Amino acid sequence: MDLPFVREAVKNLFSRSSCDMYPLKPSEAAEQYRGRIEYDPTKCINCHFCERVCAGGAISVVEVPVEEGTQITRTFDLSTCTFCNTCADFCNTHAIKLTKDYHMIGLKEGDLLVSGTFVKVAKKKPVPPPAEAKPEEKAAPAIKPRDDGKPVQDPSKCVYCGICAKKCLGEALTVDRKEKLWKLDEDKCVSCGTCEEVCPKKAIIM
Amino acid sequence: MFKNLITESTAKSPWLFHINSGSCNGCDIELVAVLTPRYDAERFGFKLAGSPRHADIVVVSGPLTQQSLPRTLRAISQVPEPRCIVTIGSCPQSGNVFKGSYSVMAPLSKYVHVDVAIAGCTPKPEAIMDGLVQATEILKEKRKAWLEAKKNGLKDGPKAETEQEVPAAEDIPASGEEVQQ
Ligand code: SF4
Ligand code: SF4
Ligand code: SF4
Ligand code: SF4
Repeated sequence: MDLPFVREAVKNLFSRSSCDMYPLKPSEAAEQYRGRIEYDPTKCINCHFCERVCAGGAISVVEVPVEEGTQITRTFDLSTCTFCNTCADFCNTHAIKLTKDYHMIGLKEGDLLVSGTFVKVAKKKPVPPPAEAKPEEKAAPAIKPRDDGKPVQDPSKCVYCGICAKKCLGEALTVDRKEKLWKLDEDKCVSCGTCEEVCPKKAIIM
Repeated sequence: MFKNLITESTAKSPWLFHINSGSCNGCDIELVAVLTPRYDAERFGFKLAGSPRHADIVVVSGPLTQQSLPRTLRAISQVPEPRCIVTIGSCPQSGNVFKGSYSVMAPLSKYVHVDVAIAGCTPKPEAIMDGLVQATEILKEKRKAWLEAKKNGLKDGPKAETEQEVPAAEDIPASGEEVQQ
């Protein structure tokens, strides 16, 4: 009589178990695994791009005015997130990172929230009270669109994130965050409107 | 004596009942992977039960579509107390990317008390195992309270504040009403 698999069965009886023995032996996630979000508020410039690209609406932001400027708290809800990495891809300052940590168990409310707070210091804010000194100048920065259909930047809104320069198809824009520089090369600009569309702060008018 | 034996054995072997309430199958496949020899959750006594009436732990995946919500709740209400409700993935906790759709009724915590929420889309089998082990701990506590209550003559067990009644199917508003308002 031919007994099939007898050899296999006997061999397996003495071979190692195929079980990973997970909780006893910790296991690491694969390379490029996208798990728990890490948010570095010190790098964030509050450009709001991450919220705009998040399909699940997992990112929320609370802005509270404080003495030195605005206190910004950005919260990532891991129970809404699909771990698609889009926010981290779009973040120009690399403030968001999806780590390999997959131990995400929520036993009570708030267990699955990742948040960070920073204070954005208001620039060009008249710190001492002479607000009534130059009332005309306040009205001045209301910029007007140009006649030739090319983009204009509103310096009071722009955070110099550089997204417009990245997206510009004709490479007509130069943005330097350190120097607070926003420059348009009028010859290269084709008035496509892409920069106006991508600007998260709506700082470009056409 | 027999009763003690039964209580002790059931504590060591919590059976799972899995409900798919419209999941994309990602979470379901990972739950099945947990039961394969590689992860071998049967080491902890987990076993998939075929009927909610045999189960101790209910595992829910999917964003609770309008069609599946009454059925999900009916199945959950058939699981005998003390029970533990575990959600897998982002869907049952928030609706995930389907949030706001006219036919998605998530989160589950709106209708029943959720004991353990496992995040991820989809969670790794290891994460699911972590969650299930947590659920057994919770189940042990619940069973203790339950036996205590029975000794004190409460037939229906303790009604903890966290324990919500499972709403009857006809009490659930159709999501269409909510959306249109
Ligand atoms: S995209 Fe990055 S820099 Fe912009 S708001 Fe989000 S975290 Fe901050
Ligand atoms: S990973 Fe995707 S779903 Fe999660 S917060 Fe970022 S953009 Fe949103
Ligand atoms: S104008 Fe350009 S640099 Fe300034 S906020 Fe808009 S996209 Fe960012
Ligand atoms: S949480 Fe993600 S993987 Fe799980 S059912 Fe929902 S969409 Fe699918």
